[in-house]
Amino acid sequence: MIEVDRLVKIFQDGSRGPIKAVHEVSFEVRPGEIFGLLGPNGAGKTTCLRLLSTLLQPTGGTARVAGHDIRTEPDQVRRNIGFLSGDMGLYHRLTPREVVTFFGRLHRWPDRQLRDRVEEIFALLKIHDFADRKIEKLSSGMRQRVAIARTLVHQPPILILDEPTFGLDVPTARLIEEFILGARKTGKCILFSTHVMEEAEYLCDRIAVISAGEIRSMGTMPELRARTGKQRLREIFLDLLGISPVSEGGRV
Amino acid sequence: MNPQILLTIYRKEMLDMIRDRRTLISMIVVPMVAMPLIMLAMSYFMSSMESKAREESTTVGVGQGAVAPAALEALRGAGFRLVPAADLRRAVERKEVAAALEEVGEGKVGRKFVIYADLTRPASQMAASSIRTALDGWKEQEIRRRLKELGAPETVLTPFQVTRVNIAPERKMAGRFWGSILGYIVLLLMFSGGMYPAIDMTAGEKERRTLEVLLSSPASRTEIVFGKLLAATTAIFSTAVLTITSLIVTLRRGGFGQSSAEFREMVSRVPLDAGTIALVFAALLPTAVMAASVMIAVALFARSFKEAQSYLTPLVLLVAVPAVAGLLPGMKLTPALAAIPIYNVSQLIKEIFLGEFSPFLFTVTSATNFLYAAVVFFLAVRIFKNERVLFRS
Repeated sequence: MIEVDRLVKIFQDGSRGPIKAVHEVSFEVRPGEIFGLLGPNGAGKTTCLRLLSTLLQPTGGTARVAGHDIRTEPDQVRRNIGFLSGDMGLYHRLTPREVVTFFGRLHRWPDRQLRDRVEEIFALLKIHDFADRKIEKLSSGMRQRVAIARTLVHQPPILILDEPTFGLDVPTARLIEEFILGARKTGKCILFSTHVMEEAEYLCDRIAVISAGEIRSMGTMPELRARTGKQRLREIFLDLLGISPVSEGGRV
Repeated sequence: MNPQILLTIYRKEMLDMIRDRRTLISMIVVPMVAMPLIMLAMSYFMSSMESKAREESTTVGVGQGAVAPAALEALRGAGFRLVPAADLRRAVERKEVAAALEEVGEGKVGRKFVIYADLTRPASQMAASSIRTALDGWKEQEIRRRLKELGAPETVLTPFQVTRVNIAPERKMAGRFWGSILGYIVLLLMFSGGMYPAIDMTAGEKERRTLEVLLSSPASRTEIVFGKLLAATTAIFSTAVLTITSLIVTLRRGGFGQSSAEFREMVSRVPLDAGTIALVFAALLPTAVMAASVMIAVALFARSFKEAQSYLTPLVLLVAVPAVAGLLPGMKLTPALAAIPIYNVSQLIKEIFLGEFSPFLFTVTSATNFLYAAVVFFLAVRIFKNERVLFRS
């Protein structure tokens, strides 16, 4: 599980001075739960996920991922997470088999066990037909399946997904959604960021609305509805951000 | 550092590298064709210069005025074709003749001749020197004849004899030339050959957004940089090995039949024994590690492939400066100069080819280059741990 405790990240910018990208953020994600970080561009979602993946060092606060502190046990944290972003992060000159095996080896899986695991996950995600073709020759849907296989190869209990459907076409985005729902069924703890309202509403057990590095509100959809008095997530989101609807009664 | 993780990263980098066309061209194709092309160009250039000069240098202009018939005979005897010309200076200038000879009258000591030549033209230079030789021959005959008339012995002309003996072994003669040129070419090719792989595995990974995923794996930053460093070193060292191998194959295969005798002689004496080549490789290995460390550290700073290219291209050109310094005559390797990167190895290669390298300076040079490589490697790891550099956009 993920426990985030007053996490702070301040970037030093030469011209603009210190920038608070994440400010006193606290939340927790339980096993078998999909937790969504919903926010506009530049809200601090990616920074928050990078902190939890130990790609960045926090300026203040801390977090525990699978029981390991991100400050003191970054190696243990990385062993327990699967990281996926919309960019997919695939090596285009390698084949799906090479990429997935590479990441399995980095997670120190013994070769024989890893071979079986790769076969298993390729069968599950229907990758076998193009497993030995270079990734640069694959369609975006095929690539995303490979990216999922790469994320899951070491059977991580925690998934950190940074806008995993960003820039994808509808069928490919649907594939990702199915993957997330499937992972929840297997008891994985899933933290994902998005700025797509429908996606968050459809997938998440709980949602945290984040803006300017701070969590404005957090809870299940019924809790957020009760708190804001709005029905649709889009309206809840705008309300929490203090933005009035563009058009009211036909007037701007 | 876990060796298994290191090997995994190294293998992945190598696989990625050998599937990149740009890398293959700079790392394999260029070194393979560079040496044969350079040799071919040199052979062609030297033989065509020589034959052109020889062809042109056979015509000599002679003045309209009286030139001693014996002098003209001496020139004909030396194989010159004599061309009468009114304005000798102009004839040489206009390249109507290679050089010209004029008799300008009688001086206190005898006849006076003037040779007109354009010393910027090899043919003219060659002709002038041949005219002089022909006239010297005639002069000698004339002196002998006069001495005979006076009843003096011919030995009066040669009170003593001087003979110059070249004690330098043939290997040394060829080694001086090849040692200088090879070090320069190999070092340049090593840096340019390593540039693309170094950029691709650093700035290229940033640009393609694969670095983020790699960093979220359990591999430590030191393991990642070290794995990349090993792969870049392999690329750079392979470039050196291929360049030298292609030189050996080109020289062994020969095919310089059409080239000048001077070139053929130069080529036939290149020391290509296994010991020399092994020493050259041993000298180049620390340089390869250093080059890989520097290029990885520099390319890590860049946000994109293009930006990294703009940082590294001047660096590759900069390598030429100490390498060229090594080509200058009189430059030697001393313990102090062995601390200058690139210069030290280019000198060392020259001395290995000359067959007179010092094991002490070999050790100092290799140790210095390994030390530089280690310092830059730790710098690269620090850069890699710096999130401002890694995630700057």
